[in-house]
Amino acid sequence: MRTRLAGLALSSAVLTAVAGCGLSDADTSDDQVDITGEIKGTVTLQTWALKPKFTDYMQGVIDGFEEKYPGTTVKWLDQPGDGYPEKVLSQAASNELPDVTNLPPEFALPLAEQGLLLDVDQADDKLREEYVAGAVASYEYAGQTGVYGYPWYLNTDVNYWNTELLSQYGLDETKLPTTIEELVAQARIVKEESDGKVHLLSRMPSVEDLTQAGVDILSPDGKEFVFNTPEAVAVLDTYRDAFAEGLLPRNVLTDAYLGNMELFKKQQVAWTTGGGNSINTIKVDNPSLAEKIIASPAIGTPPLYTQGLSVAKGSDNLSTAVALARWVTSAENQAAFAEVVPGIFPSTVASAQDPQFSESDGTNAGDAKKIAFTSLAEAEALKPVIVDQAMTDFINQQFSLAISGEITSQEALDKAVEKCNELLNN
Amino acid sequence: MKTQRWFTPWLLLGPALVWLLVFNLWPAINTVVLAFTNAKPLGGGSFTGVANFERMLNDDQLVYALVNSIVYMLVCLPLLLFLPLLLAVLLEKKLPGITFFRTAFYTPVIASAVVVALIWTWLLEDRGLVNGLAQQLGFLTEPLPFLSGRWLLLFSAISLTVWKGLGYYMIIYLSALGNVSRQLHEAAAVDGAGPIRRFWSVTVPGVRTTMLLVSVLVTVSALRVFTELFVLTNGTGGPGGRTMSLVMLIQMYSRGFTGHLGYASALSLLLFVITVGPMLLLLRLNRKAA
Repeated sequence: MRTRLAGLALSSAVLTAVAGCGLSDADTSDDQVDITGEIKGTVTLQTWALKPKFTDYMQGVIDGFEEKYPGTTVKWLDQPGDGYPEKVLSQAASNELPDVTNLPPEFALPLAEQGLLLDVDQADDKLREEYVAGAVASYEYAGQTGVYGYPWYLNTDVNYWNTELLSQYGLDETKLPTTIEELVAQARIVKEESDGKVHLLSRMPSVEDLTQAGVDILSPDGKEFVFNTPEAVAVLDTYRDAFAEGLLPRNVLTDAYLGNMELFKKQQVAWTTGGGNSINTIKVDNPSLAEKIIASPAIGTPPLYTQGLSVAKGSDNLSTAVALARWVTSAENQAAFAEVVPGIFPSTVASAQDPQFSESDGTNAGDAKKIAFTSLAEAEALKPVIVDQAMTDFINQQFSLAISGEITSQEALDKAVEKCNELLNN
Repeated sequence: MKTQRWFTPWLLLGPALVWLLVFNLWPAINTVVLAFTNAKPLGGGSFTGVANFERMLNDDQLVYALVNSIVYMLVCLPLLLFLPLLLAVLLEKKLPGITFFRTAFYTPVIASAVVVALIWTWLLEDRGLVNGLAQQLGFLTEPLPFLSGRWLLLFSAISLTVWKGLGYYMIIYLSALGNVSRQLHEAAAVDGAGPIRRFWSVTVPGVRTTMLLVSVLVTVSALRVFTELFVLTNGTGGPGGRTMSLVMLIQMYSRGFTGHLGYASALSLLLFVITVGPMLLLLRLNRKAA
């Protein structure tokens, strides 16, 4: 009897689990949404790690909204930096997504696929007119119709060079490399002159490098990975030969992304990439180094990093939620935000001529900011958002094997493509 | 006056039972279910039968992770079975200042695993203290690839686990040694047994039950190793991901908005099976010996 009861309990639990783990089709219906209602009532705005540093700014923006639209109340939730994806996941799974949520494009994709986010392109006629095209495109996904977020603030990478190390090891800061080949050639000089103690090159290639080399990561319909091309092999071979020559530090094979910045701060390498505000960050860790840095535009197509605000499709107050998302991402509020957070840039077309961003104050940090802002015009999201964390890890692992010479570049790319397709189609 | 009711024990057990059901049994059942699906964190998925288990058969990374986890266990087990015992035997002596040494050996246990692993990273990197000293003293001409060579990386992580675990298991042995009869030691000494002979013939049989407990604890924790390898490899799993443990592989597939929960759950089931196996074997061996 006891055994039967235990069996029954287990079967019930398994059945409940089956029902509970959501093995059903998601609601991806493409219903028309009405946002023409009156702007009033309470909406929730969720941001990501803005308190306490930017509390005054955000509260000012919220107060401004409530003043502009009397009868509205904004409940502001600020989530800590750590565990944000998990928090959003749990909110989405329990159907408690805030009305307006800060979601970068890769976070917004799975929510959009589940029909949880509002297509703001459909809801807002002025979206494409008021926000820069590249930023809007970040929230458009292959296989999905629509735009699933208002672009908020943008960033890109520029090159940073340690001028002291450059001149010490025979390089001219007025002739900085502009291609990977030139970079490798100069890395060879640094290695020889420093007897291997200092490197110029200190990072592994990634998916972004393939995009920069003109390699298509996905097929045009977005349903298949296709980056195992001869051009991609050439990119990996360049790094592989450089590694074999000792032009990269050995630990680069296991370095996380910020590895080159860390080595740069320690003055073990003379080049790194970073956001438009990196000199100010470096100043905190190594003040004497900050003075020796100069910036130059990224090699190849600059990467585009976008943050945005998405509106929950299930919001009880869509009109107000959309108005709030537009308000927070408006040109004036974004410009004020960029003033508080140096190194980020507005995503609005109206900000393009703002001298606050397009002119340097003559310092190296000001030059870097100007270069970054100018680069945004041609910046692109270099990694398709469909490349998830497991795919990225696997690709990096295969690239690492290719660079270390354990397998050929073609084998690494073939394996990476095979695994990515397996994960994509699973 | 009778104040006890039939439900009193259930009331007392209630919180613990609810905890067990919600945080242990339910996730375990859910893991079994998910292993047969292609579920993702959002939107569930569909049943895929044994597809996830078939995928395992062609997964090179899994082979590396399994080998690493098993090597980790096979090396850690003898080291953490005997080194803490020897340490406990030494520190059991009532000598002046012995408390200082007991505390010192226990300190790594209370230190955060992540912090300790980060310190070890600084020690072992190409320009770290170990390579620097070895080169200064002329033992090495080139730095050893502690953090970039597959096996050196694995053994660096094992050393870290052993160093951190010594104090913990030493404390367990210290309490067990208190139960070993002093008279037996004295009798053995009178019969002419030296310290080594007394160790094998008196101390070891006296703490055999504790050794079994330590074996089980070491086996389980070694097969589930994560922090040491994760921090020493910066989360990359070493060159080509070939120094990943099984738990790292599970983490790689399960994290993020689009985590592959189905395959990660299937890997978790595999880990469960290979963890339970050695435990049952150890229990059987102990029963036979008893």
